[in-house]
Amino acid sequence: MLAVAAGVTLLAGGVRADDTKAALVPGGPHPYFAAWEQAGKDAVRDFHLSSADYKVPEKWELNAQNQLLESLVSQGYNAFLVFPGDPVGSASTVAELADTGAPVLAIGGCLKDPSMAGFCLGTDVAHSAYLGTQQLIKVMGTGKKRIAHFTGFLVDPNTQLRIDAVKKAAEEAGDEVVQVIADIDAPEPAQEKINAYLAAHANDVDGIVTTAWVPAVVASNALRKIGDKRIKMVAIDHDQVVLQAVKDGFVAGTMLQNPYGQGYIGAFAADKLRNGCTVKADAPWKANALTSHFIDSGTVFVAADKVDTYLEAMQGITKDLLSTFQATYLVCKS
Amino acid sequence: MQGRGTSTTRVEPDEVLVRASPTGSAGGLRFYLTNEFGLLVLILLFGAVFAVLSGGFLSTFNQFTLWRTAAVNTVIGFAMMTVIVTGGLNLAVGAIGVCAAMMCGWMIQALGVPGPVGIVGALALGATLGFVNGWVVVKSGLHSFIITLATMSIFFGVMVYLTHGESFRNLPPSFAEFGRTRYFGVVSPMLIVALVAGLLLIGLYRFTALGREMLSAGAKPEAAELSGVRVGRVFILCHMLSGLLAGVAALLLVMRNGAAIPSMAGQLGQDWLLPAFLGPVLGGTLLSGGRVSVVGTFLGSALVTMLTSGLLLLRIGEFWVQACLGLVLLLAVLIDVARKRYLAHRRMV
Amino acid sequence: MQVVMRQMQTDWFGPLAVTVLAVAIIGTAAPPFLSTLNVQVLLFALATNTLIAFSQMIIIAVGQMNLSVGAIGGLSAIAFAGMMQVWGLPAPFAAVLALGIGIAAGALNGIFIARTGISAFVITLASLSVFKGINSGITRAQPFYGIPETVKAFGNNVMIGPLPWLILPTVLVILGLWFLLNRMPLGRAILAVGGNTHAAELSGISVSFTVVAAHAISGCLAALAGIMLVARLQIGQPSIGDDWLILSFAAPVIGGAVLSGGHVSVAATVLGVAIVAIITQALVLFHIDPYLVQVVLGAMILWAVGVNRWRELRIAKSAKRI
Repeated sequence: MLAVAAGVTLLAGGVRADDTKAALVPGGPHPYFAAWEQAGKDAVRDFHLSSADYKVPEKWELNAQNQLLESLVSQGYNAFLVFPGDPVGSASTVAELADTGAPVLAIGGCLKDPSMAGFCLGTDVAHSAYLGTQQLIKVMGTGKKRIAHFTGFLVDPNTQLRIDAVKKAAEEAGDEVVQVIADIDAPEPAQEKINAYLAAHANDVDGIVTTAWVPAVVASNALRKIGDKRIKMVAIDHDQVVLQAVKDGFVAGTMLQNPYGQGYIGAFAADKLRNGCTVKADAPWKANALTSHFIDSGTVFVAADKVDTYLEAMQGITKDLLSTFQATYLVCKS
Repeated sequence: MQGRGTSTTRVEPDEVLVRASPTGSAGGLRFYLTNEFGLLVLILLFGAVFAVLSGGFLSTFNQFTLWRTAAVNTVIGFAMMTVIVTGGLNLAVGAIGVCAAMMCGWMIQALGVPGPVGIVGALALGATLGFVNGWVVVKSGLHSFIITLATMSIFFGVMVYLTHGESFRNLPPSFAEFGRTRYFGVVSPMLIVALVAGLLLIGLYRFTALGREMLSAGAKPEAAELSGVRVGRVFILCHMLSGLLAGVAALLLVMRNGAAIPSMAGQLGQDWLLPAFLGPVLGGTLLSGGRVSVVGTFLGSALVTMLTSGLLLLRIGEFWVQACLGLVLLLAVLIDVARKRYLAHRRMV
Repeated sequence: MQVVMRQMQTDWFGPLAVTVLAVAIIGTAAPPFLSTLNVQVLLFALATNTLIAFSQMIIIAVGQMNLSVGAIGGLSAIAFAGMMQVWGLPAPFAAVLALGIGIAAGALNGIFIARTGISAFVITLASLSVFKGINSGITRAQPFYGIPETVKAFGNNVMIGPLPWLILPTVLVILGLWFLLNRMPLGRAILAVGGNTHAAELSGISVSFTVVAAHAISGCLAALAGIMLVARLQIGQPSIGDDWLILSFAAPVIGGAVLSGGHVSVAATVLGVAIVAIITQALVLFHIDPYLVQVVLGAMILWAVGVNRWRELRIAKSAKRI
């Protein structure tokens, strides 16, 4: 019973200056989010939070994430940085978190408006896919080109946004998307489908754009295997396999996202929101397909010449964003 | 045994509901021989352990969310249980559930029908898809495992094709309201729905001719056929009931999430399979068919949900929760076997 | 005529007919399907998927199911990759240890099932969580990248023509399993226990030993599939094995395996794997709307088992007439 009493006082404890216990919760286990752990630790060191812990749902499953978030409330966490398991379905849980008085920010991916999240700090997936395709078109050179697009789970609404964005970029340049292969976020089916496609259609495509982690890795390996550098490819994210393929010239470049910055700046903002700041209503918000309160955490195209220094490039973006963040997006007392 | 003493005297509103049913359905010494009693002891035991070891476990918020999750898992378990009765399986529960949820969302958002009509539409679709499963299983004479493995892929694929992965979120506010309502701070109306569904199922299997036909057809199809039961028709009804309950579970999740989402049961609806089997199996429903325990399914689902919640609260590291859950489940079934053997041994002496 | 009839009664006739027909149709409609490169891709898929199907088939033979094949395969895969990266073990040594883990995991399943009498479904459902949980606990969902070049080469190079090195262990396993099930006492014991446990016991077979052995073999095959996938994918992905379940059942059942046990066919299961692989490839080849891929796959499985069933009924009828 003592422990119960202790737990209750812990929950009901008064608000001290630096008692922000932030939780960074991705949608499920995925290498993309690994940088959040360090980002949380750095935020604790730099902004003097009580803690900023990286908490991963055991499975990539909306219900598992909901259960973890509910449990974190019971554990006394009071600020939440969440990659929504579903842009629509997570809204209800986020509202419950916000009801406990905790600031909730969507990082990495957004919630669909209206939601109780303060704002969304993440990659504009459609824009990133659009820019990546444009880079690919540039690398492929002139003439009407044929593009294949490899992407992730169809039940993820972002997948449709990516498909549309790639198509739009291709059509604007007079090129054609000849094939979309989706639902390949697991390595085995990705391996099977991508290799089958390249085996039969390698001569029918000039370029490949990938907009999900696993397809990028598998396609990089497949192109290395074929050894033909005629087919150009633009990948996504920073898997070692992809970066090495960029270095060796099998892949033209990769669209990097900024997970570290999302976690680091997110923790900073959540702490501020707990200590007298509010979200500025008339800040220069960007809008994307989901929300009108969007902040782009940055996306960079990295080609072979910048592979070794990409970390610094990303940290530069994070630093820039942080330096003006409070003045731009928050209203603070005192 | 101080710990157990305190845990049994601490009566919580929902635990009263839990306990009311087994004592009502079985009495006397035989009660201690039941699976349900074993589960109840485990629930109280683990409840006490978690309450002592972690502060937040007994907080009203945690109890509310725990039992709300348990409610959904219970109904998913019921959906599987009604087919396990036939000695078969329904791997398509998740796919049917998602199809029903999307039907509800589509009717309300695209057709503009009022909420209750959408709910009826969803349940009708659930029952219809269940009928398809049952009809194919009965007519082909193939094992339901392989049939529902295929229909899982087909139902889910058609759903994704039609919706293109888009969610429906323009639902009446009363939907999300229902998911967030807290009676007395801890009881979710979703739990009440699950309990009502359970009571209706108890009524079906115990007091109606159809329910008894389901059980006898599941236990010995040939014998039942000889005694005049139309086994094929009864099996189809079991699958329809399963589809209907999958629809109910899906609607509960729609209300919980405030939207109808194609990914709510994972790829192909596979995420529902584990909760779907854990409840009935722990609860003593025989996989070979013919025996069913509604109360046991409820308690089994509740135990699993509680273990997950407690393990998360103990902060053993989220990545190890699944391993611990598996070990505890193994332990639970082993304890159950030991208990039965001991009791059987004592009865013989 | 009699020869044809006898051939039709074997398990592998139906799947073989479907496979030949599918290859003929797809090959005519899309000639690149029969190109060397594409055949090679098919063989790569066959190499690992066959082992996955076998690891379930051997359990189906003994009349049980093993839901944990994917979890065992995944655990062995990351153990294989992890031991090479973290401890710097040489690949063959790591592979043997990883196979050992697979065998131990499978044997544990078998021991629990045989000793407690709890259904295999329940035990493997629980052990699925345990094995998958240990996998996530060790890797924290991060892949192991330190795969030696020799292993990568083994997983991706070809011996001669379209034949990849990866197919070599699979061929050995096919021959070994065929020999086990048709010529060895243990194989016959497995089928006997699957067919009628009680009768098997009366005829002096140790049921518990047979069950444990079958599960150990299943674990070993799952581990081998996991190891080969690491070589093929060139990374130790923690998610290896997550989606094996459907395939592992679909292929043996398409190959005519009886789920209640006692009757499986090595050759027909290989053909079952081939059918699934060919369908998957054809969908990509014909540019089928990605949203419809799932539907077609489900319908094809249903169709294949339907044909199989129809063949069974016809044979039963003609047998009666004679």
